[in-house]
Amino acid sequence: MNPRHLFASKSAVASVSLWARLFAICCLATPLESPAAQEGATPRITLDERHRDFLKAHCVECHGEKKQEGKVRLDQISFQLDTIQGADLWQKVLNNLNSGDMPPEDAPQPPPQAKANFLEALSQTLVAARRTLSDSGGRSLVRRLNRREYQNTIRDLLGVEVDVRDLPPDTGNGTFDTVGSSLFLSSDQIEQYLALGRRALEDAFSRQSSDLKRKGPLRIHVETEQVANRELRQGAEFHIRASEPVRQWWATVNQAAGNPENAGVLQEILALAEVRESPVRFYRHWSKLNGAPPPTEFGFKDPAEAEMKEDEFERVKRYADRYAELPRVGDGSYLFVFRVRPEEKIAPPASWPPGQYLLRFRVAALQGVPESWHFIEVGRPTVPGAYDLISAHQVVGTLEEPQVVEVPVTLTSTDRRPFAIREKRNNSREQEVALWVLHERKQKDWRPPSAWIDWIELEGPIPTAPTSDLFADRPPQEILAQFTATAFRGQTPRPEFIDGLARIYEAHRSAGASHEKALIESLSVVLASPGFVYLAEPGPDPGTETAVTQHRVPRHLSPAELASRLSYFLWSAPPDTGLLSTPDLASPKRLGEQLERLIQSPKSDAFVRGFVHQWLGLDRLNFFQFNPREFPGFDDSFKNAAREEVFRTFAHVLRNRGALSELLKSERVVVNGLLAQFYGLEGVTGDAWQPVSLAAGSPRGGLLGMSAILAMGSNGERTSPVERGAWILRKILHDPPPPAPPNVPQLSRLADRPLSPRERIAAHQDLPQCTHCHRKIDPLGFGLENFDASGAWRVSEKYRKSHSGQGPWPVDPSGVFFNGPAFKDYFELRNLISERVDDFAQGFTEALIEYALGRPYGFSDAQLAADILAHAKARNYELFAFFEGLVVSESFLGKR
Amino acid sequence: MTANTPLSRRRFLRSSSACIALPILESLGFRKFVSAAPVNVRPKRLIFMGFGWGVTRETWFPDQKQTGADFVLPAGLAPLERHRKDITVVQNCTNKFSNEAHWGSTFWLTGANRYAEPGQGFSNSISADQVAAAHLGNDTRFTSLQLGTPEAQEQGHGPGLSMAWDARGKPIAGVDHPDALFHRLFSAEKVSLKERQIHLAQKRSVLDLLTGELRSLKRRLSAADSQKVEEYAQSIRDIETRLGKEEKWMGVVKPAAPMGPPREGLKGREEIGLMYDLMLAAMQTDSSRVFTYRQPVNSLLSDLGVPYTGHDLTHYEPSQGDRMEFSQKRDAAQSALLAGFLDKLKSIQEPDGSRLFDHVTLAYGSNISSIHFLNNCPTILAGGGAGIRLGQHLVLPKDTPLCNVWLTLLQGVGIATERHGDSTGPVSALRA
Repeated sequence: MNPRHLFASKSAVASVSLWARLFAICCLATPLESPAAQEGATPRITLDERHRDFLKAHCVECHGEKKQEGKVRLDQISFQLDTIQGADLWQKVLNNLNSGDMPPEDAPQPPPQAKANFLEALSQTLVAARRTLSDSGGRSLVRRLNRREYQNTIRDLLGVEVDVRDLPPDTGNGTFDTVGSSLFLSSDQIEQYLALGRRALEDAFSRQSSDLKRKGPLRIHVETEQVANRELRQGAEFHIRASEPVRQWWATVNQAAGNPENAGVLQEILALAEVRESPVRFYRHWSKLNGAPPPTEFGFKDPAEAEMKEDEFERVKRYADRYAELPRVGDGSYLFVFRVRPEEKIAPPASWPPGQYLLRFRVAALQGVPESWHFIEVGRPTVPGAYDLISAHQVVGTLEEPQVVEVPVTLTSTDRRPFAIREKRNNSREQEVALWVLHERKQKDWRPPSAWIDWIELEGPIPTAPTSDLFADRPPQEILAQFTATAFRGQTPRPEFIDGLARIYEAHRSAGASHEKALIESLSVVLASPGFVYLAEPGPDPGTETAVTQHRVPRHLSPAELASRLSYFLWSAPPDTGLLSTPDLASPKRLGEQLERLIQSPKSDAFVRGFVHQWLGLDRLNFFQFNPREFPGFDDSFKNAAREEVFRTFAHVLRNRGALSELLKSERVVVNGLLAQFYGLEGVTGDAWQPVSLAAGSPRGGLLGMSAILAMGSNGERTSPVERGAWILRKILHDPPPPAPPNVPQLSRLADRPLSPRERIAAHQDLPQCTHCHRKIDPLGFGLENFDASGAWRVSEKYRKSHSGQGPWPVDPSGVFFNGPAFKDYFELRNLISERVDDFAQGFTEALIEYALGRPYGFSDAQLAADILAHAKARNYELFAFFEGLVVSESFLGKR
Repeated sequence: MTANTPLSRRRFLRSSSACIALPILESLGFRKFVSAAPVNVRPKRLIFMGFGWGVTRETWFPDQKQTGADFVLPAGLAPLERHRKDITVVQNCTNKFSNEAHWGSTFWLTGANRYAEPGQGFSNSISADQVAAAHLGNDTRFTSLQLGTPEAQEQGHGPGLSMAWDARGKPIAGVDHPDALFHRLFSAEKVSLKERQIHLAQKRSVLDLLTGELRSLKRRLSAADSQKVEEYAQSIRDIETRLGKEEKWMGVVKPAAPMGPPREGLKGREEIGLMYDLMLAAMQTDSSRVFTYRQPVNSLLSDLGVPYTGHDLTHYEPSQGDRMEFSQKRDAAQSALLAGFLDKLKSIQEPDGSRLFDHVTLAYGSNISSIHFLNNCPTILAGGGAGIRLGQHLVLPKDTPLCNVWLTLLQGVGIATERHGDSTGPVSALRA
């Protein structure tokens, strides 16, 4: 019996009772279905026979029975790509056509259209063949915890944070970080596990012992004016002192100038244009005056240095005077993006235990400056110019009614850097220079402050409830056994292992270590052991499997295994007691309840971030900085918010039983104040993410209108219609272009002349090697040209002057799907795309299977995908339904 | 090791190094051969440095018509002019299985076919440096050193944790920060020898316990899973090998650093220059003889004020505005850094009065030529360690396996191997 029949025969009654009935029928107490029916035969990946004519016409004469040039024969080549050797030979054909090496220059060339069509068919077939040849056979390989899961697991177990940057990254292999075959393990990593585990345990001990001794939280409080006013005064005094010799030297020069013997020279100097324009330049001519001392006597190498010192003093004094006139300087301080007070800090005491703390501050926005300045960010300064961001906030409080902001922060035992609050800004020297030019050089003024800050405090640690109890008053052997059982997520450890741990404990004790130290040493072994590191599920028939006996009956997961699968899928963390103690977890009713509970829990944010980030390829956002001159607001805080919009939207749809199609087109967005300002949405302020209805005709609503998605399709300066078009094909339309082929010759026609974006890309039509993909990619990208590199709406595109001096070009967003419908603008394109929800759902389902089951999606999973899709489609593609369909599948509930 | 001691696994691992790829007896035989060599022969060293994203091919490769000793260095190589007689530029080498147009590092030293293993979407094989490490790495504290950069993971270059892949084709971790490398090389042990010996014994009992756990887990797993967790077992064996070496070196105090500890957070030219200095320091103190360096590109570009990322810059077609200019700027900066490295290799004297340069073999390049081109991988060779004929521009037949060059270098430093990756034979024209 197969769930797919039930899904397929379902009318669209979307209710929990359907869900329950569905389970009742496909009772999982019976053995899982026979393997033959499940797996089917390996699909044949075949290049269509009609392409044989192309080979005959252009290849076989030299690569046939008679000539066999380069020992390559194509007259007998199999059109079935079912072996690695076969695929490799076709790869060679593809590469030689792409590089233009074949057919040779002096031979007749295939017509471009025929070549493009052949290349398209061959490259697509090769992608399919590679996929089939690397098919998992429906088995998920055992996998270790990835970085995210490792960190969350330690947090749940010990209540402390580990810095996982020391572990090698798990991404970059083109698959999800949950796919076992791509998760390697090395000796370095095991040593890191031992070291990180030890550090985490040390932190946990110091934290737990502090918790036991202390009553109530720890707290420090900084009144900012006490620091700010003192520092400003000291700064001014420093500059007064530093510039004092300038005035002394100038006075002495003045004295000499007053000397009658210098009267003639004095007139000459004063008549100089330079001096008339800028009187301080007078002193540059000191040497002409008899009796004037050189600047070196006063400690400057030349008059210019003296001018600079004086200038600096003037500026500091001017700013200090103006600062003193600001309201409420007596009980707070002001944040400036540039000079004066660039940040306010609070430093955590070294004695505090590691843990989560609350950073709290009282803040108000200053009126009379642009609203885009009313954002501040919290972070930790690292090396000069770098700043580890923690959060960003819109300042909505006023001087009359300031607001209090609370930010959870983490203290580890090794990191005691201060926390700093500052106006949201770009971490770039370039922006600083631009601000200097604008305010001090051009406007001859300071850059006004944007926010007032009353006080900052740090309080904590926030109580945690780690699943392990290190201070239990029990014999060490029992503590070891209990900790190991928890760390192994419900799997019972072998007694031999506990004995081994006890021996390590004893060895350390007898070498003079304290009880605590000996526990740390022995428990850190648990945190590097296979039972902790691997999400291992014993095979149905362990140790005997061979290629011949692959098709065996899978087994049901044990309740503890199922609990782990669910929690690592939806929380990227170990199961809680709720999951582990659910009786009859695999029953439809319980499974449904737990799925709902897990998804509604904030812990599923870990799934949303982990999955969506990788599914949509959001890592590209990290690849480049936005040009701060053209996109001054597109700094790291904005980037984070833009990325967060994608996550929040997905989570909102999932948790509120929305439909997958809302990701393609929607009448609302989920935004905070920062994004609302960027999108020009009225009436949304503050840091809370909230669903907001859009006005009719808004280009927003759905992934295609999101800043993060559009910005990825740029290089931080200009849009890239190719990136955007390829992204749509890959992620939305489930028609991924084959990987960029190597060795395609450059387009020689392109002279070194400026081209409009369209001309530039139209050149792709010159070569069949390019055409066959770009005829699909480019039109879609052009449909989004109304969005600039940051995702803001525009009607014309201009080049930077250095490129061409030409433009601006009006945006032409019209286009035609390859072999498909035409669209006149973005809105029509979006409509056409949102009609392709079936394709979108297919791609999403494949990604979800790959992530959840930890194996590259392959033909073995086709039936599973079809089952899930049928179930979801019957419920109008409700996003939640995909998860239901997946967790009830025998693939999810069984181990093959 | 004395000849009549029984060879227990651990004893073997302790005294030898990670040469798992080789039949045990052969490697033991080889060690014997090496230890019989005269003491005053300076050790040979191999350095492979890759820059991932390729070069501006119009202005980096010498004119293919000017072969032999008489060739002009084009703009991209011009900063190397003072070393022209001491470098060899090789053209037309390719890893024929490479099809990934954005992977400049993954297969550079391996020449592997990504799809060689059935049922696997990705596989790799041993890299040339690790072949060398198995032979040259036995007598130094570090069998080999892998230098990297924190950015490599997220910014192209292809999969891998460094340039190095072990005998089973698994990625080997790199040291990504200069200060971390400095401490690994030179920071003194804080505890006494006695304590370290106890510590070592404790570590071994930990490894034994973990090995036992793994064995019991394996018994319950399916065959495929059981094979996968073999990585864990192998990792434990690798740690044991390392501990064996650590034990051997325990009485030997780490050498004094010929340089001060580096500042943290350096980027671009400073970061690369510092890594070069650290490699020199590691060679001067004979801490290791085999090096790879997966160099940063984006960090270098931002240091040079280039407003593009490594990938974007490779698309420097004339229609793309100012990118070509910046791409050339990057080439010149990389060549200038290399020239500085060669200066130092030449200026550092070995105890016998010869130059460090004379015993080093250096390969510099990438699997990507430029743009999406994977043919004619840019390749510069230098140093006197492998008996390579220097000062020439060598244009090999089109699509010569890059592994032929690696094979030539390996044989040149005395490693008796007949093939590497997809090699078809050594490049005789490279031999002096």
